[in-house]
Amino acid sequence: MTHDSTESIAAQVRAARASRTPLRVVGGASWMDAGAPCDATDRIEAGALRGVVEYEPGDLTLTARAGSTLAELQQATAAHGQWLPLDPAGSADATLGATIATASWGPLAAAYGTPRDQVLGCEVVTGTGDVVRAGGRVVKNVAGFDLTRLMVGAWGTLGVITEATVRLRARPEVDETLAIVLGGAESIAHASRWLRTSAFTPLAAELLSPARGAAVGVGSVAAPVLLLRAGGNAPMVRELMRAATSLGDGQPLDSSVWHRLGTSDGAGTTFRVSAAPARIAALWAATASVVEGAGGTAQANLWRGVVRCTIPAAGTRDFMGVLKDMLAAGHPATLVRERGPSWLWEQASSDGALAALAAGVARAFDPDHLLNPGIMGRSTHESGPADGPPHPALQARTT
Amino acid sequence: MTRSPTTEDIALTARLRAIVGERRVLVRPGELRAYESDGLPGYQSRPSVAVFPGTRDETIAVVRLLAELAIPFVPRGAGTGLSGGSLADGVVLLGLHRLSRIMSIDPDNARAVVEPGVVNATLTRAASAYGLHYAPDPSSQTACTIGGNVAENAGGPHCLKYGVTLNHVVAVTALLPGGEVVTLGNADGEQDGYDLLGAFIGSEGCFGIALDVTVSLARDPQAVRTLLADFSSVDDAARAVSGIIATGIVPAALEMMDNAIIQAVEASIYAAGYPADAAAILLIELDGAAAGIDEDAARVAGICRDAGARGVRTAADAAERARLWQGRKKAFGAMGRISPHLVVQDAVVPRTQLPAVLAAIQAIGERHGVNVCNVFHAGDGNLHPNIGYDSSDPVQAQRVHDAMSEIMAACIAAGGTITGEHGVGLDKLPYMDALFSPESLAAMCALREVFDPDRRANPGKVVPVHSCREWTGASPARTVARA
Repeated sequence: MTHDSTESIAAQVRAARASRTPLRVVGGASWMDAGAPCDATDRIEAGALRGVVEYEPGDLTLTARAGSTLAELQQATAAHGQWLPLDPAGSADATLGATIATASWGPLAAAYGTPRDQVLGCEVVTGTGDVVRAGGRVVKNVAGFDLTRLMVGAWGTLGVITEATVRLRARPEVDETLAIVLGGAESIAHASRWLRTSAFTPLAAELLSPARGAAVGVGSVAAPVLLLRAGGNAPMVRELMRAATSLGDGQPLDSSVWHRLGTSDGAGTTFRVSAAPARIAALWAATASVVEGAGGTAQANLWRGVVRCTIPAAGTRDFMGVLKDMLAAGHPATLVRERGPSWLWEQASSDGALAALAAGVARAFDPDHLLNPGIMGRSTHESGPADGPPHPALQARTT
Repeated sequence: MTRSPTTEDIALTARLRAIVGERRVLVRPGELRAYESDGLPGYQSRPSVAVFPGTRDETIAVVRLLAELAIPFVPRGAGTGLSGGSLADGVVLLGLHRLSRIMSIDPDNARAVVEPGVVNATLTRAASAYGLHYAPDPSSQTACTIGGNVAENAGGPHCLKYGVTLNHVVAVTALLPGGEVVTLGNADGEQDGYDLLGAFIGSEGCFGIALDVTVSLARDPQAVRTLLADFSSVDDAARAVSGIIATGIVPAALEMMDNAIIQAVEASIYAAGYPADAAAILLIELDGAAAGIDEDAARVAGICRDAGARGVRTAADAAERARLWQGRKKAFGAMGRISPHLVVQDAVVPRTQLPAVLAAIQAIGERHGVNVCNVFHAGDGNLHPNIGYDSSDPVQAQRVHDAMSEIMAACIAAGGTITGEHGVGLDKLPYMDALFSPESLAAMCALREVFDPDRRANPGKVVPVHSCREWTGASPARTVARA
């Protein structure tokens, strides 16, 4: 069922509650189909809830209905020299609601953070059909418990997001990108250290595996390439780019490379592997070549310490074995799934007291398990540990 | 709530003493007096018992004992809060300031793991050896604790650029009110699943106690420029704020002080050399790479002059910068010289609304015959209107209360919120209904029940009890008699 008002969404949830009908929450349907198991046949569609509700450029905040696309919001804000610095991979027709629900982010998170840092408030319809307003429209807010943070990354299981307020930024005066080929593990480690100790904060510092570089038309076939994006006033950008020459020879690129990067995922399983940020070089060494060997591609956010991999479905199980070995060797890491076969999602993402807490939160907002049931992984609605071995990456977390 | 101590209460004291030692459990009224209020004068209530564990294990044992006996408790750090949030009315006060170890500093990952009682400024001092600092800097930073900062999601002047506590906490080992220990967040990569850490931060002691906190540290900036802009009207200063925000330059801090505050600061030992006849000043700090910082500073100074600033000066050295900041951070302390009590509000408004809201606040103050002073985080739109008064004069106290209620209503009407960094506590409870619908408040109550099904942690704070559907008709949690 499609809706053009929050009230109509609430009515469908209440009706579904009465008939105990689970609902699949759908925004633009452009990336919600991640392969995550979801035991719902009926759909609740928020994609028609579109449009900017309030935008006062001087406040650097914007409130929009959840079905508004990121492209639409970029267009509205660009007219005032501003942007919502969220650039998750995928189509620009992705909706604001789905971006928040999946906590999706892209290379710009190096400077601007993730949806967790950018969403100031939202309106949701919970599993009881109640319309709940979390947070507000101002940039700083501690009134009451922070329901906004709970909605970010909850995949719609705690409520259907109908509207959200986000923090905007001014577009930088100067915005330049350099491609620097980084041959060898030592040069990647050096680049990571440079980022952590230099006086500068780039907008993005994204390392691409050779195949990923080729897919976006940069770099050499043999070595990874670093895309370094600098923004700010002209003297600062000039100095940053000059300082970056210590990493290797840079080739200036048009900023359209970032759009190409975001739309070149390819088919297969997509997931992210992360660890404490300074371990990024070791994490890259352990993962990127394996992924490329299996016919996939990898990219890493050097600042946040996250490797994002896309791998043909057939290679996924082998890769999970690699991850397990890494953990067994005493290197803790975390797996976050974006797209993949259902078996990948079915493993518990937490256990013990933490799983009980998560299950309690799910019950508090959606007592009848109506919204996207199962999509957060098996443990969400069950307080006990799931059958079988715990998720390998999360096993490490508890050690 | 006062009743005679029962044998049960006496047994509680004995069992607490068995865990933490004789001297770390206070029951005598004289000893408990220091714990009757927090940083906000005007609210007082005495705990029945105050207990101060010295280790993580003692803390866990105390909380498990309280759970076993179904006794409510209020966690407390340094007691510098500004919302009445750590007041324990006839229940057990659980003081955490003795848990003050910095457990580790990891300069490569720019992180530290600390116990909850570590003082904010102590952490920054320890991190400075590595060229790092802890960015959130509440004005009480020389006394307030990281545990208290997590409970309140504390801010501070430099949060304009660097973000509030939420943006700097990577993980927390939380002791839930029922005695379970859980790790929220993730120090080994991204957080997956529900953001329970985000829910915990700012939960004002209602969701449990942080046994340790993993924070991220910020690099010390290569260059800093601190500007003081001097205005002959508050409105001009407010327009300068909007102008600066609109350029896209994000200052590290952008603070406003009005004439009454300037006078109070300049008459105190914190005199900073502010122009005494200015209607308002802006304290503006830019930081980051040295390259380009002077261009940004010149642009900011130009905007101030265009908005009508009489002068803009730049701190010549670190000593002058420290002096300018000390005046700002000690402003509330300086107000203490003028009147015995002070109410401070913490509303946030959209930044374009600042000129109109400041004018409305002025008019409300005049109408009620009270003197409203302003010292606040202008860049965030986070106001701190404060009124000095004598609470022993009931007529004056009523006027102050009426003026503050109207000011809050004006901020809400302008699209704002009732608290940006101080928390709801007791002080802002009456405004929650004006801000949130019954459904939204009920959702908050439901979330609280997940962490604290027995409703024993910091009872009666944050969310008005009448708004909790499930709670209506339920008997109140038991209290403990005062000695």
